[in-house]
Amino acid sequence: METNDDGYPKGRKYKNGEITVYWKPGACVHASYCYRELIEVFDPGRRPWVDMSGSTTDRIIDVVNMCPTEALTWKWNDDEKNKDISVDQTNHVIFRRPELLKPEESNEEIRPVSVKVMPDGPIVMKGDFTFQYNGIKKKVKEGILSICRCGASKQMPFCDGAHRKIGYEDK
Amino acid sequence: MNDMETENKENTLPIVEIVEGGPLKITGKIIYRDLKRDTSGTPAELKICLCGRTQNGPFCDDSHDDAK
Repeated sequence: METNDDGYPKGRKYKNGEITVYWKPGACVHASYCYRELIEVFDPGRRPWVDMSGSTTDRIIDVVNMCPTEALTWKWNDDEKNKDISVDQTNHVIFRRPELLKPEESNEEIRPVSVKVMPDGPIVMKGDFTFQYNGIKKKVKEGILSICRCGASKQMPFCDGAHRKIGYEDK
Repeated sequence: MNDMETENKENTLPIVEIVEGGPLKITGKIIYRDLKRDTSGTPAELKICLCGRTQNGPFCDDSHDDAK
């Protein structure tokens, strides 16, 4: 993860009394967990789009941990509390468990690729896999791939978040 | 020996493929979840509709052929 001098992730910061949420727009794959789970805090139609007063710290942590990328991460404001957890452990818990949490076993056997159909959104692959597209063959290692299902992306075949703008409904 | 092992491993990596004019095809070891329909599974192959014509979403039912 790219960090500032203080070791914190680059990008925008949003604070409440207990935690700081970091937002790194370039890493977002539009999996849409944040605003589907907690629109009171994460509202893409609002500026600023993160309102830390919209919910409890516990709930915000839960939803930030659902983010499959490093687009949303969080840390305790009290650095003492951060000593028990590394940056890696503060996020990605849901997507990495349990099959993706054990990199030490990666030499033993092939880990399954996680395939998630997001509600009214893209299809998201996570893990190790070979990606074939338009004659290109690429080996992806611990990667994330978000493919458009709504047809409105301007970066085909990749999701660019357009499903939200057009109100795509998965039937 | 090591080269061969590496190659074997590559060969068994799951494959995610966008079929031209067709679905997203995934083969290999898969853990699948559909968060809207609340279904999940570990199929050996998955074909996900990308054209929007399927009557069996999110899966491909070859309806993309109708447009040809």
